[in-house]
Amino acid sequence: MAFWNKEGKDGDVTQEQVLGVLKKVQDPDLHKDIVSLGFIRNLKVENGNVAFDLNLTTPACPVRDQMRDQAIALIKALPGIQNVEVKMTAEVRQTPQMDKTALSNVRNIVAVGSGKGGVGKSTIAVNVAASLAAAGARVGLLDGDIYGPTTPIMLGIDTPPQSVKNRMIPKDAAGLKFMSMGLLVKSEQPLIWRGPMAHKALQQCLFDVDWGELDYLIIDLPPGTGDVHLTLAQAVPLTGAVIVSTPQDVGLRISMKTLRMFQQTRVPILGIVENMSYYICPHCNHQDQIFGQGGGKRAAEQLGIPFLGEVPLDIAIRMQSDIGAPIVIAKPDAPSSQVLRHIAEKIAAQVSIRSYEAPVLEVE
Amino acid sequence: MAGPPIQATTPTKIKKVSPGELMIQWADGHETHHLAPPLRGMCPCATCKDEMTGMRIILLIHIPDDLEFRKIELVGQYALQFEWSDGHHTGIYSFEYLRELCPCAECKKRTTL
Repeated sequence: MAFWNKEGKDGDVTQEQVLGVLKKVQDPDLHKDIVSLGFIRNLKVENGNVAFDLNLTTPACPVRDQMRDQAIALIKALPGIQNVEVKMTAEVRQTPQMDKTALSNVRNIVAVGSGKGGVGKSTIAVNVAASLAAAGARVGLLDGDIYGPTTPIMLGIDTPPQSVKNRMIPKDAAGLKFMSMGLLVKSEQPLIWRGPMAHKALQQCLFDVDWGELDYLIIDLPPGTGDVHLTLAQAVPLTGAVIVSTPQDVGLRISMKTLRMFQQTRVPILGIVENMSYYICPHCNHQDQIFGQGGGKRAAEQLGIPFLGEVPLDIAIRMQSDIGAPIVIAKPDAPSSQVLRHIAEKIAAQVSIRSYEAPVLEVE
Repeated sequence: MAGPPIQATTPTKIKKVSPGELMIQWADGHETHHLAPPLRGMCPCATCKDEMTGMRIILLIHIPDDLEFRKIELVGQYALQFEWSDGHHTGIYSFEYLRELCPCAECKKRTTL
């Protein structure tokens, strides 16, 4: 129970005073102060000692340190403050309507798509998912690329999942739970399916897997706009979609189609990630813009959607993917890991904004 | 891309007010009341409307006057799917389409202009 020190004796700082200054700290993404947002929990003010939990909307918040430092500085400026203790916690909000689906234990579903194949969609999806998990979130990864599943290679697991009571148990790797069609078929065996089969397979991987409680379920889509995309857009209220593209205009123009498809099915676009933005020579660290420069950023600006970052064509990312140890986990301090982590944080921030702003729809 | 403003096609409340009547409140403040038979008659699915020519296969005369909504389900975040009392259930009505079909005098005037 909070101790509500109304009067304050001998000029001691009161709870109201502390909350008063904390109201000056704004969440730059949600455009509200951290008191009104309900981020302050378990506030204790006693004899000049202040302690509280700062409960954010994601553990991967890109501005968490900034908000904490600002809060501490403001409280310390109050008279008679001895000590300030802030515990950082996070509670990821659920996308509206998610609770009414078969995936009610999942808070947010984020699809990662692209216009064409080979842009590094799976690489981005795996590393973003692993980054969110490393930040402390509960993360699932579903490889929805039923025709060319690659996450089993990137996560170094290729054994079929166990089933308990007709539900598949997802695999644990890189701190996340993952499921892929690649685990259900032998790796050299192609999947030759018509649309309805693809539809059924994705539904099974979504609903017949024991995902448990998840903050984020990342879905790695096949390239283009097809059965899997439509199934997904119809089956669940997606929190949003991330588009991966290369800087080349051609890649972008095709990405536009994917983007329009998401818009038509009312899936919010969380932003564009530009992959293979530049090449870093492993010998001399020289950077080359092989596919041109700034294409993704320009497109994002034109469309009024967030630009999430530029990932280099870095041999280290490829090597880590091939040995089944994502770079953000195996080499967290590598420059490319920092870039990928920052993108994951921006995606988490966009998810928080969407879950916060999404209109509530009542269905009776 | 011209089209109605997003508020006009974003529902805030969807309610079955009676077995044969659906009410939709839109973010622009408008309220639409759809009766089951005429809405069923505009089913956009491929068995009710020819995919190539756009010609209606199911017409209003094929639909009983006492048709009811048996089930109303959200499709992702962009549409509704109804199961009707005649057993049909394959039509997906996008929010845009549901607003376009609003039978009120004000909306009818706008679409016939």
